[in-house]
Amino acid sequence: MDAQKVDMYIMSNSKYFQSHQISYLRERLLLLDEDKWMMLQTVDLKDPTTILIVSILAGSLGIDRFLIGDTGLGVGKLLTCGGAYIWTIVDWFLIQDATRQKNMEKIQQFL
Amino acid sequence: MTKKRLYLILTLGLIAGYSWLAYNLWQQHAVNSKPVCFFKRTTGIPCPSCGNTRSVLAITSGDFYDAVLINPLGYVIAAILIIFPFWLLYDVTLRKETLYRSYLQFEKALGKKTVAILLIVLILLNWIWNIQKGL
Repeated sequence: MDAQKVDMYIMSNSKYFQSHQISYLRERLLLLDEDKWMMLQTVDLKDPTTILIVSILAGSLGIDRFLIGDTGLGVGKLLTCGGAYIWTIVDWFLIQDATRQKNMEKIQQFL
Repeated sequence: MTKKRLYLILTLGLIAGYSWLAYNLWQQHAVNSKPVCFFKRTTGIPCPSCGNTRSVLAITSGDFYDAVLINPLGYVIAAILIIFPFWLLYDVTLRKETLYRSYLQFEKALGKKTVAILLIVLILLNWIWNIQKGL
C-alpha cells in the first residue's frame, strides 16, 4: 500500500494500538494490497479511554470486558460481583492494554 | 486469550472460589457481618450476583429450593465449581484442549445477537427480582 496512506492511517489510529506494535503494523500495512484499504476502515476499533471510563463506572458488572469482546471473562466478572471488586480494581489498570491487544487481534485478520 | 492464560485464570478463580466457600462454611454460624459486595455497600441496592454465596451454601446443605429463591445464578457457580476442576485436570494431564475450544465456542455463541439479548434480559430480570427481594 501507498506509504503516505499507511502513515496517515498510523497517525490517526495510533492510540488504538500498543506502541511497540506500531512499527510491525506499519511494515505489514505497506505490504498490503490496495483493495484492502476499505476493509481496514471498516474494522471496529475500540477507544481505550472510553473503555477505561466504562470500566470505572460499570466494571463490577463486567461490561468493560463484554465491550472489548472478552465475553468469557465478562461473564466471570458478572457472576462474582466483579471478582469481589478486586478484579474490578485490577482491571482499571489492565483494561486499556487489553483493549489495544484486542484491536490488534481484530486488525490482524486483514494483515 | 491464549490457552495458557485461560487455564491460569481458571485455576486461580477456582482456588479463590473454593477458599471463599470454605471460609463461609466455617463462618456460617457466626453473626452475619456487612455484605462484601462493594456495589451494594455504595448504592444500597444489590448487584445482579448478590446472594450467590448464600445460594451456593444452600446447595451444599441440600436446600435446593431455597437456593433458587435466593439467587438462581448460584446454580451456575456451583456447576462451574464442580465440573471445571475435573475438566481442567483432564485437559492438563492428557494434554488436550477441549476446555479451551469450548471456551472459544462459548464466546462465539454469546457474540450472536439473539443469544446475547436473551441472556441480558434474563440477567436484568434476575436483578430486578434481587432488588425486589432486598437481598
